Amino acid sequence: MERSEEYIKNERKQEWRVELQKLTKAKDRMAVERVEMTEMAPEERIKSQRVEVNVGLTKEEAMREATRCMDCVNPTCMEGCPVSINIPKFIKNIERGNILEAASVLKETSALPAVCGRVCPQEVQCEQRCFYVEKLNLPSVAIGHLERFAADFERESGVISVPELAESNGVKVAVIGSGPSGLSFAGDMAKLGYDVTVFEALHEIGGVLKYGIPEFRLPNAVVDVEIENLRRMGVKFITNYIVGQTASLDDLKEEGYKAFYVGSGAGLPRFMNIPGENSNGIMSSNEYLTRVNLMGADSEESDTPILRGKNVVVVGGGNTAMDSVRTAKRLGAERAIIVYRRSEEEMPARVEEVHHAKQEGIEFLTLTNPIEYIADENSRVKQIKVQKMELGEPDASGRRRPIPMEGSEYTIDATVVVVAVGVSPNPLIPNSVEGLEVSKWGTIEVVKDKMQSSIPEVFAGGDIVRGGATVILAMGDGRKAAKNMNIYLQEKYLSNKVEH
Amino acid sequence: MNKIVEKENFSEKVVKIVVEAPLIAKARKPGNFVIVRVGEKGERIPLTIAGADIAKGTITIIVQKMGVSSTKLCQLEVGEYVTDLVGPLGKPTEIHNVGTVLCCGGGVGVAPLLPIVEGYKKAGNRVITVIAARSKELLILEDEMRKHSDELIVMTDDGSYGRKGLVTEGMEEVIKREKVDECITIGPAIMMKFCSLLTKKYEIPTMASLNSIMVDGTGMCGACRVTVDGKTKFTCVDGPEFDAHKIDFDEMMSRLGGYKEEENDKMDHFQN
Amino acid sequence: MKEFNSLEDILDFAINEEQMAADFYTELAGKMKHQEMKDTFEQYALEELGHRAKLEAIKNGKKYQVSEAKVADLKIGDYLLDVDVDKSNITYQEALILAMKKEKIAFRLYNDLASTAIDESSKKLFLMLAQEEAKHKLRFEVEYDNNILTEN
Repeated sequence: MERSEEYIKNERKQEWRVELQKLTKAKDRMAVERVEMTEMAPEERIKSQRVEVNVGLTKEEAMREATRCMDCVNPTCMEGCPVSINIPKFIKNIERGNILEAASVLKETSALPAVCGRVCPQEVQCEQRCFYVEKLNLPSVAIGHLERFAADFERESGVISVPELAESNGVKVAVIGSGPSGLSFAGDMAKLGYDVTVFEALHEIGGVLKYGIPEFRLPNAVVDVEIENLRRMGVKFITNYIVGQTASLDDLKEEGYKAFYVGSGAGLPRFMNIPGENSNGIMSSNEYLTRVNLMGADSEESDTPILRGKNVVVVGGGNTAMDSVRTAKRLGAERAIIVYRRSEEEMPARVEEVHHAKQEGIEFLTLTNPIEYIADENSRVKQIKVQKMELGEPDASGRRRPIPMEGSEYTIDATVVVVAVGVSPNPLIPNSVEGLEVSKWGTIEVVKDKMQSSIPEVFAGGDIVRGGATVILAMGDGRKAAKNMNIYLQEKYLSNKVEH
Repeated sequence: MNKIVEKENFSEKVVKIVVEAPLIAKARKPGNFVIVRVGEKGERIPLTIAGADIAKGTITIIVQKMGVSSTKLCQLEVGEYVTDLVGPLGKPTEIHNVGTVLCCGGGVGVAPLLPIVEGYKKAGNRVITVIAARSKELLILEDEMRKHSDELIVMTDDGSYGRKGLVTEGMEEVIKREKVDECITIGPAIMMKFCSLLTKKYEIPTMASLNSIMVDGTGMCGACRVTVDGKTKFTCVDGPEFDAHKIDFDEMMSRLGGYKEEENDKMDHFQN
Repeated sequence: MKEFNSLEDILDFAINEEQMAADFYTELAGKMKHQEMKDTFEQYALEELGHRAKLEAIKNGKKYQVSEAKVADLKIGDYLLDVDVDKSNITYQEALILAMKKEKIAFRLYNDLASTAIDESSKKLFLMLAQEEAKHKLRFEVEYDNNILTEN
């Protein structure tokens, strides 16, 4: 599974690759302009929570974009990918029109290509390391769009390949949490021949991919196909099961599970600790998004209620904040406003999301910070007292930090407020497992790059270790954990010495 | 999917359901709750556990028809399935041998009180239980409570059964009569608030079990925020039981109504 | 307001304040259930003892200066609700809020003392002490800004 540099070099020397390399001159490749993703018109897409913004590339667009890729001798783009997708190999397969083969290249190392093609911040990962960016100062090859195209093409073709699986070794491993980290881990372990069961606390598989990321960015159907793929690889899923509550880790050991991967995520929303924060109408982005995405509260048919308001304010500047504020717009808010304490430049949200939000009429109040919530006589929020901020001088770390401007307070009307100021790790596992070392932040301590915790048979990754990260970093953790758990289990139970 | 194996209508509005859930039956402790979902469009609602049978692999829940979701659950018949059931959730009651314990339940709050009464009795306490309902028809689990309590006092608002009056009147009589070391109260928020005020006057340590609004029940959403001792707590992972004397009951009651309008709309939609 | 007769008096007062702060954090560390939180508060206590040592050195003749540069005040703690210190199980976020607010109070105290100081040399000493407290507070604020106000 783990591929050497030599393997990648040899792949590049395959006859078909060499032919393609010769077919088009570098100068001609460079002359092609980067493809533009077709988008649904903003005024159309804000009518529904479930209309995807990005439409996807056509086969012609994708093949043309693929010719831009230089098939570099030293593909630096791969270094930017947390799950080490063989990027040139999949792109060159698109160039020669063998899309299904491209899709199976993705699946060699990624359990969720159609997901990553949509939600990965490629602009700061693979694409940032592209030859075009690093050497030519030109827009990178649209690796993310191509990844999405290949994965979608396969799904729509109905001819879905299952990655090659090692012979079953009968060793049972448990995965706690079915988010991107757990799914990525499960996929790799299944490929290695393990008997994998994923335990999920909610009633749906997918974790943040289902409850967090809205369908206008990531349709549930796309996630479901990837999960179905894992099922076909032999991965078992159990919903409504909270490890640590429904049964303990020790109970699972008694049932024969030899090792555990904890990918239970950042389950605890943070609030700001300012006056009036518990008034009705103020909720975490987790609550807001879960009600809509997981429970379908945007539809009248759903039994789950959602608060709609004329003025909705979302506090925060990350992707979760963008997802929340764009959801508010789709639920009919006249004004949907982002309130963020730093400047737009420092927003952690992807540039694309901010851009889409602006197209949709989202208002941005940057360098503005809520300091108090004002409620009406029924304890429902009606206004937010905010304060203007200015950036201070750069400090030792070079960062300019926002400082409140005295006397700049004013109020904004809002009947719904969504707080998206970060999350803390879910305490259920750290609290229920004796001997598990936890940091002061509540994250599980692991040996870096091995993802092994203070308990040898317990590995962990994703937000429960990082405290708050991206889908792809969580998936990368899952892969690392699988590789190292395999070594651990091989030596302990299968009496195989594995080269480290 | 969890099969309903037994059902009993306590009254027009209150139903007892015994449902298959072997793991929860084994793991649950007094004070725990579960989250239930009925139907593919169903809402996740928290419900307390009134009892469990490990041998049969079942738990008992008692539901009052309040909104769409509880009504849908009440409409399920024996042999039908609950779509999703997850638990046990929340921290269990801390039960010790403290001497004399006064257990007070009102309405369907009597249901989760039953395992707690059993627990206190088993731990060697003298258990005096006061249960209350608006009228005789709405009174539940009287025999079970009597079986596990040293003394049972029944109160009804209209005097149609037991003694006429509020739960606090029955409580105060006991408190005046003998030394009470600990008190626990479960029921409508307003009832718990007055129980708490009463025991505060007599300086009796008191716990209240809250029934906040929840979505996931695992700490993820924060809908169940409650202020205890000036600090924000999550009912699902920090509770459901808190020191009653420190709970901001007024805020809690207002938060229970946080989705009132939307819930009424859903109910109208459901009935038409 | 407290009266001071000499620079030595002022330093003794400040040294005692630092010791009390150290004791406060040590006591809090003793209450924590989580080892990591114990360690955190013990670390804070050690830092206060460090401040104490610094003041003792000044008392023993070490030169000090009031820097011209103003220490940044991010004012993060100013708008947050108080944290109850009697809790045995506070989170790291709460610990930071507590520390920020405590340092702010100390900063204000020295600032007030400076404004009412009768002679230039005690004024200078108070300003230096205020500046020290402002630096301590900034350290906690930066930690809070970096880790809590992450907005993902």
